[in-house]
Amino acid sequence: MPGDAAPAAARPVTIIRPPSLSAARLWHALRQLPRYTDLTLVLTAHRIRVRYKQSALGPLWAVLQPLAMMIIFATVFSTISRMPSNGRPYALFAYCGLLPWTAFSAALGSAATSLVSHSALVTRVYFPREILPLTYVLAALFDLAVASSVLALMLAWYAVPITPALLWTLPVLLLLAVLALAVSLVLCAVNVRFRDISVAMPVLLQFWMFASPVIYPLEAVPHAWRSWYLLNPMVGIVDSFRRAVIEGTAPDSAALTASVLTTAALLPVAYLWFKHVEATMADLL
Amino acid sequence: MIDLSCRGVSKRYRMRSRTRGPRREFWALRDVSFDMQRGEALGVIGPNGSGKSTLLKLLAQITAPTTGEIVIDGRLSALIEVGSGFHPELTGRENVYLSGAILGMSRREIAAKFDRIVEFAGVAPFIDEPVKWYSSGMYVRLGFAIAAHLDPDILLIDEVLAVGDAAFQEQCLERIRELRRSGTTAVFISHDLTAVEQLCDRVFLLEHGRVALHGRPDTVVREYRRRFVAHGVSAPPGAHVGADVSLDAVSLLDGAGERIASIRTGDPLTVRVAYTAPSSAADVVVEAFFYSLDGRVLFCQHTTALDGDRLDLPAGRGAIEFACIEMPLQPGEYVVCGSVRDAATQHVVSWLSGPTLSVRPGRMVRGHFYVPHTWRHLAAGAHDLALP
Repeated sequence: MPGDAAPAAARPVTIIRPPSLSAARLWHALRQLPRYTDLTLVLTAHRIRVRYKQSALGPLWAVLQPLAMMIIFATVFSTISRMPSNGRPYALFAYCGLLPWTAFSAALGSAATSLVSHSALVTRVYFPREILPLTYVLAALFDLAVASSVLALMLAWYAVPITPALLWTLPVLLLLAVLALAVSLVLCAVNVRFRDISVAMPVLLQFWMFASPVIYPLEAVPHAWRSWYLLNPMVGIVDSFRRAVIEGTAPDSAALTASVLTTAALLPVAYLWFKHVEATMADLL
Repeated sequence: MIDLSCRGVSKRYRMRSRTRGPRREFWALRDVSFDMQRGEALGVIGPNGSGKSTLLKLLAQITAPTTGEIVIDGRLSALIEVGSGFHPELTGRENVYLSGAILGMSRREIAAKFDRIVEFAGVAPFIDEPVKWYSSGMYVRLGFAIAAHLDPDILLIDEVLAVGDAAFQEQCLERIRELRRSGTTAVFISHDLTAVEQLCDRVFLLEHGRVALHGRPDTVVREYRRRFVAHGVSAPPGAHVGADVSLDAVSLLDGAGERIASIRTGDPLTVRVAYTAPSSAADVVVEAFFYSLDGRVLFCQHTTALDGDRLDLPAGRGAIEFACIEMPLQPGEYVVCGSVRDAATQHVVSWLSGPTLSVRPGRMVRGHFYVPHTWRHLAAGAHDLALP
């Protein structure tokens, strides 16, 4: 992996060697990252600004996607076929699941192709490439914040009490961001060599959504399948988010623990692999 | 104090063919080792395919070596195609911040240097306009201005100097000299032999991925020119040299008739082909060719067959001149060759590979070549004439 920078007194020393998989490299890569905070923030702000500048509806798009999906699902699953929703109004139930889900899928969808779409930058300037998918994840979080305004309105409309359990949403969303980043790193690394990823993404995300308790409750999953089901890290995240907002209760410990463990296992592996591929990424772009 | 050190650096590219054939390997660099002292300027020259751009990418950390190690003491900034990070919808100001951040400057640093950057580029009245409205000159100047204010410890420069007009070139070179005076170490990877000779303390020549030669700029550049003119451009197959007409020399002259070795894009050029004809030769065609230095790419070929009168050469010595008021070639190194051909049989009777022509930046080239032209603003009455 290129770049093994140890900031010295005045001049940083950089050692460039052939790529290799080692924990030491990982550590040095992490130590470099703080130097690029400014760049990350500038690129994220740029991402958000460009998206909103170019469209007439601007920030409304952040709200429109989960809202539109919620309307569709609510209509189908309230009138055409009944879907259990733990006794809560289905519209609210669905929106609560769609909010974190939309953030996740938007982050993944845009981050996976970020290296290829920025090939001009990647082949001309050096910066830790993980910053590119990271900026998309951060931009998706920003959209999530905008879309939660509608959630606030819905909570008021349905007279849902605000409890301290709401604070659970913060660590849950942090976990969401970390998971999105980890999966994006894997997808980015694969996409550089196999461009099919961008075509496969919509299908992958569709499948994943149905494998997560977004439009149906966790309780609806048969017990026999439960342990396999919990291997999907998005299960704990979506369910915990919804519990914190609607039920006002702490997360289901089994589900959340499963999410935390899977994400914690995935991230270092994803990052290590990404850094290994990063070294020669420019040769393929 | 060693700022940059390369030890046994090699870079291998693997070509995968879709049809699952054997994987071809290509070593772009082989066992390159060198050290750079603080404040030194090193030039790297070589023909196309010698590994220059690979070396550039390795030093800029854009890709990793296959073997070997590179140690860089200090902050290194590479100027590779400035202005490429610009987003057309954003204003100049926003792009300065974006581009500056991408090149490694902190927000505070950019804010502090902002006014100097804008002044250097000369775009102050337009700084808050979207860059898609900028002229190509403004675009390039702003891009370079940002990169020029990086203040790195080590500067890596490539053909970025090949863009812009002569005035801008001078501004860029002056900025580079300024950086050098303040002790910045620089690596110059370029085709522009004149600039390399002027700005560097040491030069090395890359050939097929290895360091073939290194030493003083004038020595290495001279040797480079000699090698390539000597191997030169070989006569095409079927030419029987020396038969009727033989070419003695090909020389390059400027607009005043003085011998030169270098012009700028858009300058006048005359190519004089001196011949000796033992007996008179009827109906011959004389041609002037401009090839790349390694003889592989033919940039242009001018022939009396297309736009001259019928040529009959009387016995004795003489010369044929090709004159162009504004040479459109873009900056680079070319080999000029002359040939004489029999008009009826099309056989090449004589061929001579001539001197190297060095083209420096002059008229602005956007694209592959410069087209001599004028612009005129016509009155309202002419408006409808332009409509289909």
